[in-house]
Parts: sequence; structure tokens; C-alpha cells
Amino acid sequence: MANTGWDEFEIGAMLRTFEGEAGDIAGTLQEDRKYTENSSFSASVADWRIEKPIFAKDYCIDCQFCWIYCPDMSIISRDKKMIGIDMDHCKGCGICVEVCPTNPKSLLMFPEQADEEAELAQWPAKETKEK
Amino acid sequence: MSEMKKIKNLKEFSTSADRFEGANLLCPGCAHSIIVREVLNATNDDLILSASTGCLEVCTAVYPYTSWDASWIHIGFENGSTAVAGAEAMYKALKTKKRLKQPDRNPKFVSFAGDGASYDIGFQWISGCMERGHNMMHVVLDNEVYANTGGQRSSSTPIGSSATTSPAGRVSYGEKKNKKDMVAIMASHGIPYSAQVAPNKWKDMVKKIQHGMEVDGPVFINAVSPCTTEWKFDPKDTMLLTDLSTDSLVFPLYEIIDGHELNITYRPKEKDIVPVEEYLAAQGRFKHLFKDQYKYLIKEWQERVDANWAYLNRREEARV
Amino acid sequence: MAFDKMELRDIEVWDGNFAAAQALRQCQIDVVAAYPITPSTPIVEGYAKFLSDNYVEGEFVMVESEHAAMSGCIGASAAGGRVATATSSQGFALMVETLYQASGMRLPIILNVVNRALAAPLNVNGDHSDMYLGRDSGWIQLDAYSPQGAYDLNFIAFKVAEDHDVRLPAMVHQDGFMTSHTAQGVHTLSDDVAYNFVGDFKPMNDMLDFEHPVTHGVQTEEDWHFEHKARQHNDMMTKVLPKIQAAFDDFEKLTGRKYNIVERYDMDDADVAVVCMGTSVETAREVATEMRAKGIKAGVVGIRVVRPFPFFEIAEALKGVKAIAALDRSAPGGAPGMLFNELAGCLFNSEERPMLSGYVYGLGGRDLTKKHLVDLYTELQANVDAGKVTTQLQQFIGVRGPKLAFL
Repeated sequence: MANTGWDEFEIGAMLRTFEGEAGDIAGTLQEDRKYTENSSFSASVADWRIEKPIFAKDYCIDCQFCWIYCPDMSIISRDKKMIGIDMDHCKGCGICVEVCPTNPKSLLMFPEQADEEAELAQWPAKETKEK
Repeated sequence: MSEMKKIKNLKEFSTSADRFEGANLLCPGCAHSIIVREVLNATNDDLILSASTGCLEVCTAVYPYTSWDASWIHIGFENGSTAVAGAEAMYKALKTKKRLKQPDRNPKFVSFAGDGASYDIGFQWISGCMERGHNMMHVVLDNEVYANTGGQRSSSTPIGSSATTSPAGRVSYGEKKNKKDMVAIMASHGIPYSAQVAPNKWKDMVKKIQHGMEVDGPVFINAVSPCTTEWKFDPKDTMLLTDLSTDSLVFPLYEIIDGHELNITYRPKEKDIVPVEEYLAAQGRFKHLFKDQYKYLIKEWQERVDANWAYLNRREEARV
Repeated sequence: MAFDKMELRDIEVWDGNFAAAQALRQCQIDVVAAYPITPSTPIVEGYAKFLSDNYVEGEFVMVESEHAAMSGCIGASAAGGRVATATSSQGFALMVETLYQASGMRLPIILNVVNRALAAPLNVNGDHSDMYLGRDSGWIQLDAYSPQGAYDLNFIAFKVAEDHDVRLPAMVHQDGFMTSHTAQGVHTLSDDVAYNFVGDFKPMNDMLDFEHPVTHGVQTEEDWHFEHKARQHNDMMTKVLPKIQAAFDDFEKLTGRKYNIVERYDMDDADVAVVCMGTSVETAREVATEMRAKGIKAGVVGIRVVRPFPFFEIAEALKGVKAIAALDRSAPGGAPGMLFNELAGCLFNSEERPMLSGYVYGLGGRDLTKKHLVDLYTELQANVDAGKVTTQLQQFIGVRGPKLAFL
């Protein structure tokens, strides 16, 4: 839309979220929705990140703390399971790591350039609490 | 009436399909978004939403992008509540006149606004909406400052906070006035439901939002929204700050039914209550209070919080 | 619950406010959000009473300020239905922020503006200060000269504003007290005929269409704002006047009452002409006829559509005229006056380039008398005879004290 002229868009600067009829949106997961190019879902803020979260599935207990407290709808949970991170919408705030209760944590922050497989291979071990 | 969404636990809640989208322009770690998600996900019903001018508004509808999956409107700084009230009036009119396109839907009308847009510039508009009995909910994203314009004090800014228009300096400890008790003021309108919520206590939040959406009439919700930029803490610590705010009882969680019956909805165990000093120490906006000459203010803070907690408990016990 | 129709006589004795209220009833407004202010209050009181007597179905929201009134109207209109309200003066001034929002969001709200002066000093009587305050707000502005006009122009306003090619809000102006509180015979339409003329409301981008969620009131910065404002101006400039003319034509067929974008009176061979608005038009017409008896070829141009300003239609109406007076009923605040400026813009590039002088009159409800107009026409004729403007370009008329003139 970058070069759209004054005569080429809907009046009133109105934006539509979905193509066609929305249907039961509250009952439709993102992957099944027909977003327009005007939904920010179609955009990315990946370039905001300095650090990124990496998810170590093996330690996850699916508590969903990261899901509920993620400000960017970037924790992908399906059928009550945490299945991954939406890296287009994650801004790298690190809240998910802070609220993760497992030991070791199932989510940790790394520099944006870090290699996921390498980091997962050297994931920290369980911490023993000092008495 | 539609059926209330069943949310027994967090796992069940996590099956919700969000109606608020990412790649909005809110700061990393912004609590506004967490609150909005918890509110919207509390129901499966259709939504008619508004936002008053502020961080939420300028970050979620910047042309050509919208982050809203339900109909949403912004007019100005002061009148987001009235925009929703107008839409609610139209809904009633079209229902009477049998002109609704989808007459079987049961929409919920929700306006979001910051503390500046609610406690200050939008105060009259919200009061009007509450007084007139619209079937709507006004949710304040209370970060105690005009964050969108860069950190000026609002009437929600607490004593001792350094804001750009009440900055701490060599001879000043910052904001001099106590925070306005907006929940009490709104409850005084005799509305069926008003409550204070916090995003860390998601279950309490969802319960209150669901109750608010079920009652007939206006509902006022004040949500604490720690602001990484203006409270000055690391974005990763948003939930830590929210915990500190509720567990220090700086932001007690309670509800007021029909304008008078007060119930405390979160009561930390005595041993879990955090000293106010810890809450203050975690934020850059209160840093100067830890200088020797201002330490008395921390003591006064604690006394004020204790007194308010005692007051809320007496209100609850009195059942008036 | 269906509502009852109201039996009207062919001619009812109504003041401008009641005429407007009746028009709102007959258009079956879905939502009125309103706040009282003299002299417009009876319009919304009328709607409230019709509602409570079951002569209309809808919602009347009595809000806590005019700002909230227009805010509520915007929310209601965006939700998708027919919306109207009324205000005057200070209330209009309080609404101004939201007027720009309504037009920018392309919401076809109808605002009855009962013109009144703006304080300070406080004054409840009619002048055009509020009308002028709204002239850059992106609203269509129609001007009634009488209760009949206040009644008829409401139907025109809804028909034009709600047209999907237009989708712009519209004001129907009438003069405070002189029109709003002066009862006259008003030719009525039956409820069915009136409603059918306006037609059913056709929603567009309505928030209450849950299958098509919409975002209204977005932010646009330097990369988008200009295009949206350009689009809005384009539609105002190219689409509105033809729609108004078509609505006037349909209305004439229906009622025999003819309205024009520019109302000409004795203009065919006029040497001198007064251009004015509101109740002054009828006074000027009476005086023009009297001047003709005295041998001065006088005419009157009444502005019916203030915005979009009928640039070519006015220039056409003034063709062949030698001396023109622009009558501004608003303190111009350091400028020649809106009408003077707009006319100058119309006429500057014309070959004839007639003489143009401006008069400021009637502030705060001060009467414009026939004597004022006789003197004014006489001055215009003197200009014609001298071949130049013999007075200063801006004169105040009807004000006590030494003669006041500028430029």
C-alpha cells in the first residue's frame, strides 16, 4: 500500500481486519483466519529484538504462564500445550523467561544472532537451591 | 443471554483465540497488552471496543494497520467511553427496530483508556456514561502517568513519583499530591459493579470481567498497568512489578457491588505481604526517595497503604 | 412495539425549532445524543417528547455536554444508524473537536445549528459566529431562512449526507430566535411521504456488523494524513453539490417547493446586489423590490449551501452585476469577513471584476432594518455611478457610536 494515491483507499481511513465474513472469530484460531493486509498480524516487529527467547520443549510443563503474560500474543499454545514462539510478533521483552517456573527454565533469552540448535544443545542444567 | 465462557484454569484459558494482534507498537514488556488480552479473552461474545487517545490507541491503529479483531473506534482523548455509549445506544435502537444484521449476537461494549484519559481529561465523559446506565464497561489501564506524551503527572500519579511535570530535583521529591481514588468515585455513581484488577492475578481479573459483562448496567474497572518506560524498570520485570504492586497492597484487589458492598478479592498471607519500600525500590521513578532527606516519605507511604488496607477491611466487614 | 404515525394538517403553525423536531421525527432518527442550549434546545426536547409519546422509535441519550453529545453521535453513527442532534453557539464551540472527527470518519450525522453569537460578552441571540466557526470542519452546511426551510432542509440533509457517494455529516442552520422561535405557517409532508423521500438508512462500515469488524478513527501521520484529507476534500468539492441539486429537484417534484444552491432574487438585470444568509435574505428581498420602484436595479443573492461553497454558482448568479455587498453576520476578528473573502475569491478572476464591499451587521441579534438596507443599496448605486467603491471596504452597520469602517 506504500504508494497508494488519495483516490485508492476506503473513505474515512477505515480499516478492515478480515477478508470476507469473519465468522466466529473467538472460536477461530489465527491460522484459520483470513486476515487482510491491514491486520497487524500480517506485519512483523522481529527487527525490534535485541535478544530472543529460545524454547526448550523438554523442560516445559505447559503451565501456560508464558502464554497468559506474553504482551505480544507470541506464545503459541494449541490444545493446552505450548508449542512455540511467534518470532514475527515477539519483541524480545523477556517476560516469558521471568515467569517460567521450571528448573531449568524452558525459556531463556539469547542474543538475536544466537543459533537455536547450538543453544538447545548446551541448555543449562537444573539449579540446586542453596540451603 | 449467551453462555459465559468457562475458564476453570490457565490451561483451559490458553485455548482462547486472541482478538488482539501482535506487531502492535506498544513497548516491549508493556502491561497494557496483557490486560487487554485478559479482558477480551474473558468472553467469546462479540465485542464493540474503543480506546481513548493514549499508548494503547496510538500503538494499535496506526494506518494502514489495525491490531483489533473486533470493531473498534477512537475519537479523542476524552471521549472513548462516550463513543462506546453511543454505539450501545445504537445497538438498543436497532434491536428495538429489528434492524440488527445479526440479531442473535450478544455484544459486549468495552472502552479502554489510560489514567490520564480517565482520571483527568475524560473524567466527565466517564461519569456521564456511568450515571446514565449504559450497558458497557470502562477499563482504565492505570500506569499512573501520561506515558504516551512522555511522562507527565496525572491525577493518578502517586506522591513522590518523579514525572516530567513534577520532577524530583535538588529541592523537590517529585509529585506532591496523593492519587485520586477513582474506583470509589465511580462506585459512588451507584453502578452495579466496580473493581480494581491486576494482570498477574489473571483468575481474579477474568472473574471480575465476566461478572462485569453479565451485569446489566455500567461497569468500571481499574487495572494496574506497570509501565516499563515511565516507572523505569527492565521490560522483563513487568510481572514482577505487578506482583509487587498487589503484594505490597499498594494496589489492593477488591470489588464494589451496587456502589456500596465492598469485597476484598485478594488477601495475601501476612508473611507474603511485601513492604512498600520494596515496591518503590524496584522503580526508577522513586529512586530519589531513598536519599536520606526523603526517606520519611517511604515511611509515610507505608502508613498510607496500611491505612487504606485497614479501611478496605473495615468496609468489607461492615457489609454496607 | 411499533410507533404511531402523526396526523398533520397541510399547513401547521410551527417555529423553526419545532419544524426541525418534526423533521427528525419523520426521518425516524435512531439515536439522538444531545445537550441543551438556548436557542436550539426545543429541537431535541421535541424528539424526546415524540419518543415518550411513541411517535418515533429510537434512543435519546441526554449526555453531560455538547462535546459528549457529538461524541455519542459519532459512536452511534459508526455503529450504523441514523443520527442527529442540535446545538448553538457555546455548545457548538465545545463540539468543534468532534466535528472534525465526524467528517474525517465520514459519518453522516445531521446537526441542526440554531445560530447564536459567541461569548464574550455572553449573548443568546442570533448571529452567524457559530456557523462561521464550523466552516472548515468538513461538514456540509445548509442554511434555512425560515421555519419552512428548517423543516425542508433536514430532509435534504439526510438524503445527501447518507448517500454512499457522499458520507459526510451535514449541518442545517437557522437563525436563533428570528427563525427558531418565530411561528409561521409551515407546509407539511405526511409521515410516509417524508420518510420515503429520505429512505431507509443504508449502513456502511458499521461497527454492529459483527461479520465485518472495522477499525474507525485510526492514526495517520505524514505518510498518510494528506491523502485522506485530500480524498475528503475531493468528495466535498466534486460529489456534494450535484447530490444536493438532485435532492432539490426531487423535493420540488414532491412538494412544489423549489430550493436552489444559490437563491437568486431579481438578479437577471441587477446592477447592484446584496449577498447574505439567514433571515436577512427575506428582508433584503423586500427592500430590493422597493429599490426597484425607486429606479435602482437591485437584486439579492441568498447563500443556501455554505459548504461546499458554491464558487461557480455564485459567480454565475452575480454575472453582470456592477456593485456587490457581502453581508457578514459574524465579528471577523481582524479580516474582511468570510463572505467578503469568498466572494472576492469567486470574482477576482472574472472578466467584469465587479465592485465588492463588505458590511458587518446584526451581531448578537441586533436587527437588520429595512432602513439599513435602503442605505446600503443607495451606497452600492453610488459606487455604480462613480465607477469605483466610494466607501471603505468594510463597514459596520447598526452599531451605536461614531461610524465604524475599515480598509
